[in-house]
Amino acid sequence: MRLGFELVMMPLLAFVIGLLMVLLLRRIGARLQRRVGPPFLQPLYDVVKLYAKRTQVSHGLIHEIGIVMAVGGYVATETLLPVPGMNGLADKGGVITLAYMMMVPSLGLALGVGQCANPNGSIGIARALTAMLAYDIPFMLVIFGAAWVYGTTDLSEIIALQQHGAWGVERMPLLALAGLMTLPALMGKQPFEIYVAPAEIATGPMVEMGGKFLGGLFVMQAFQLYTLGVLYATLFLGGGENWPLFLVKIFAVVSIPMTIAWLYPRYRTEDMLSAMWRWPLLTALLGIAMVMI
Amino acid sequence: MNDRVQSPGERVTRTNPLAHVFDELSRFCRSRSLFILHYCTGCGAIELPPAMTSRFDMERLGIQPMVTPRQADILLVTGYVSVKTLKRILLTYEQMAAPKYVIGICSCTVNGGMYWQSYATAKVLKAYLPVDLYIAGCMPRPEAVITGMRALMDDIAAGRAESWKRYYTHYDHYLGNQQALFGENWQTPTDVLAEARHYGLLGERSEGEHTALLERHQQPLEPLTMRLRAPAGGEEKA
Ligand code: SF4
Repeated sequence: MRLGFELVMMPLLAFVIGLLMVLLLRRIGARLQRRVGPPFLQPLYDVVKLYAKRTQVSHGLIHEIGIVMAVGGYVATETLLPVPGMNGLADKGGVITLAYMMMVPSLGLALGVGQCANPNGSIGIARALTAMLAYDIPFMLVIFGAAWVYGTTDLSEIIALQQHGAWGVERMPLLALAGLMTLPALMGKQPFEIYVAPAEIATGPMVEMGGKFLGGLFVMQAFQLYTLGVLYATLFLGGGENWPLFLVKIFAVVSIPMTIAWLYPRYRTEDMLSAMWRWPLLTALLGIAMVMI
Repeated sequence: MNDRVQSPGERVTRTNPLAHVFDELSRFCRSRSLFILHYCTGCGAIELPPAMTSRFDMERLGIQPMVTPRQADILLVTGYVSVKTLKRILLTYEQMAAPKYVIGICSCTVNGGMYWQSYATAKVLKAYLPVDLYIAGCMPRPEAVITGMRALMDDIAAGRAESWKRYYTHYDHYLGNQQALFGENWQTPTDVLAEARHYGLLGERSEGEHTALLERHQQPLEPLTMRLRAPAGGEEKA
């Protein structure tokens, strides 16, 4: 009963907080450009409007399943992420399952875009999967290192360990740094958003998406920001003792890459690969060496 | 590809007692979230960057640029429309998802403006597709653009901006004007009448002599063939 309640509540909360993070992203961008920025409920208006469009152009079954996978993958991910007062499936899943779950949306998107048969979409997906190759290696190393230090892959246990001792960021500063460096790529923000590139390939994977399909992707983005913020806070910032502190932590985590994002143009694919496989990867390897010795 | 338009037509009887609440909500959200597709045809486009950036900031009204017709709500035609451009505008317009709105910026879209005597421009935009709003001026300042946008937002929220339906109910009229300009072989990939039927908007003025002409000249659409050019010396493969 209690578990069922949590399984419903966790994605719902994630959705609401995720929309707020999208708002934060757009407000930060606006402030950096000395604009006012969108009103408070703007992300919600966008999603509702997209779902309320009269024309919904579907390119076939796989297109629809792809979007369901993209959103569903994140809904499943949220149930594996402990938040204050709710553990969901965190103790059964662990961080490895979580890392796998986080790949499902990208693969779903690839499937869905494939059926749209738009060359821009295919280029976008090819780039997105290359980007995944680029960031997943340092990301996996960071997760591996953290799990090694805590001696467990259970996220709720990781939080408990940090709340009775030192935070992860004190015990493994280099790994925390590497994680922070990988975050912009995980979020698909500048300088690593070559697969969206609106002026070049017309938003890549999103090119054929309209109406509820684009709405689904907006929801997915909200979930994505939330997931990354919570995962980072859980691994390195002691997770959430209570809701206010937890919210402060996750919003602080996501606002760092977002602030950096608006200051950069974008890297080409090969530059992204070499950037990802050089600095975050080296930092992560050094970090692992430090904690193992 | 075999696109399928999914949303239920208006013929469906509504049983949900909250339907009106949802209608109100979706109208409100539509008016507060407008994705624009610029069709920057003429000089008027130059007033859009200031309207979007720090000085006038359209995003505070929920208006933001999008890049493909599938994602957009508003088609912004910013200036004189040459005959060649008009074909692209129509292709774009027909691909957009309803409800969709068209704004003509600049006097040139209203009546040809200073290109009135040109042989190459389509003078009156609203003869070829339904226009929700004109923002006149040569060129209109960002204040005027934003005032126009606000007027459109009010119209949408009040349910008055329904011109996209007009394209279906008066298709014969629009098609006639298009044929007069492009010749009688003119056709687009979209089956407008089928869509009209789907939305339940097929009226007595949807079909007529011009749609009959279209039917006579219509070629079935074929997928583009992709040709790979083998390296020098090889044969060309289809
Ligand atoms: S109205 Fe004036 S500014 Fe606008 S397109 Fe025509 S000539 Fe250019």
